[in-house]
Amino acid sequence: MGARTRAELLKIRSTRTTFGLVVGMVLLVLLFVLLTGLLEHASGLEEKSNQHDYLAIGTLAALFAALAGVLVVTSEYRFGTIRPTFLFTPRRSRVVEAKLAASLIAGLVFAAVAEGLAFGIGYVILSGRGIPIALNGGDVALLVLGTLGSCAVWGAIGVGLGTILRNQVGSVIGLLAWSLLVENLLFGLVPSVGRYTPGRATDAVTGSSSDHLLSPAVGGVVLVAWAAALAAGGLTLTARRDVD
Amino acid sequence: MTPVVVADSLTKRYGRITAVEDLSFALQAGTITGFLGPNGAGKTTTLRMLLGLAAPTSGRSLLFDRPYAQLDRPALRVGAVLEATDFHPGRSGRNHLLTLSRAVRLPDARVDEALRLVELEEAAGRRVKGYSLGMRQRLGLAAALLGDPELLVLDEPANGLDPEGVRWLRDFLRAFAAEGRTVFVSSHVLAEVAQTVDQVLIINRGCLVVESSLDELTARLGGGVRVRTPKAAELEQALAAAGIESAAAGDGTLFVRGTTSERVGEVAFTAGVPLHELTAESSSLEEVFLELTSEKQ
Repeated sequence: MGARTRAELLKIRSTRTTFGLVVGMVLLVLLFVLLTGLLEHASGLEEKSNQHDYLAIGTLAALFAALAGVLVVTSEYRFGTIRPTFLFTPRRSRVVEAKLAASLIAGLVFAAVAEGLAFGIGYVILSGRGIPIALNGGDVALLVLGTLGSCAVWGAIGVGLGTILRNQVGSVIGLLAWSLLVENLLFGLVPSVGRYTPGRATDAVTGSSSDHLLSPAVGGVVLVAWAAALAAGGLTLTARRDVD
Repeated sequence: MTPVVVADSLTKRYGRITAVEDLSFALQAGTITGFLGPNGAGKTTTLRMLLGLAAPTSGRSLLFDRPYAQLDRPALRVGAVLEATDFHPGRSGRNHLLTLSRAVRLPDARVDEALRLVELEEAAGRRVKGYSLGMRQRLGLAAALLGDPELLVLDEPANGLDPEGVRWLRDFLRAFAAEGRTVFVSSHVLAEVAQTVDQVLIINRGCLVVESSLDELTARLGGGVRVRTPKAAELEQALAAAGIESAAAGDGTLFVRGTTSERVGEVAFTAGVPLHELTAESSSLEEVFLELTSEKQ
């Protein structure tokens, strides 16, 4: 791993913000896993598609990974540390690349924590209630690897978005509004378009069998394309814009 | 000897506003140069262009013969502080330095050395939000010193420092330059740096007004006439009509250059302006500075 990537990982680790994000994510995962697992009718959870989505609750790490990615960039602009950062590494593309790499790693860690909890606790609850596991080994592998991979990519999406917008509040609100509102509306109203959004592509990658989704492979390509486009935009703008 | 810093016709425009215009200068190794001018004169914009943070509209700048961004590991040659507040408040001082040093593969021991140099070892483990402005200034300086650079570029480093802090900074910069290294320090208050610098660059409204050694500046612009009158504006006009430049220094006081007290007295008499004071004097540096950067320039 490059020195700059390690420095970026230190930035992520050395403030309480990241810790707060992880705590928030864990609480949210626990809430959904326990509520759904304990309150949902057994008949509902026996159905394969529902069971998949239940055990895939860990994908909500994607949003937290993206938030972490956004903060990796925007907190530098907010607090002015971008100046010393660029003074030490004046080839700004290298800074952005290091932030992309660090956020991929952070996203992976977020996903491992969230999906570990969701799958582990979910599995225990299902077994405890005597509900047979309807997923086969391939389904589980796709679920786990898809979650890890897509959340890592979401970290890069956050970096791309933050690099383009630079403004912290704007980026966070934009990200939340997009993922919680716009994507769902779009998918609900025009699924043929909405399935190409990063969030629905993520569902596809984990092997969800909800209607209208892309295939896992195509979903993966679409998700990576989103991250690549945002990162490319961010790299171009960062090279061209002055730093105040 | 090749200059350490070269600005070559640097110009920066923001839309129709020209922040820096055709600015050229060169700094030699081992010197401390004060970069002076009132707030908004274009000092910070110039420093940002030197350091590759802002692209000049035209012209170029070289540090050690290269544009900053093309230096190999620039932190090892140039240390710079642009803002005293460039820290994440929730990160400790030591971690702030580590995020920078590790990015350019400096050993962690350099962080402790830099902290010792600025006498910030005790607070290093605490989060920056609890630091005083003086401590933040020193942490910024520590960051600039991480790579043991040959050139220090500091923007208004004395801002917010108490007199003891200013003295500490002065001693530090002198010791730094005494090792043959170079310092380029901006300020909007000449008095802050007058006892530290060897030479000054004074800019006003983006243009270079004076480039000289401090001694030359004092000598060249040494003499003048101080005149106090209740009708300062009228006297100013009368002097201007006689081809004599003057600068208002407030409280009805004018500072007049390039003439004698006799001549000023005659002009005042002809214009019917009563004088309360008419003194020939060698001006203080502050007055020189005030005149060079006054609105008339």
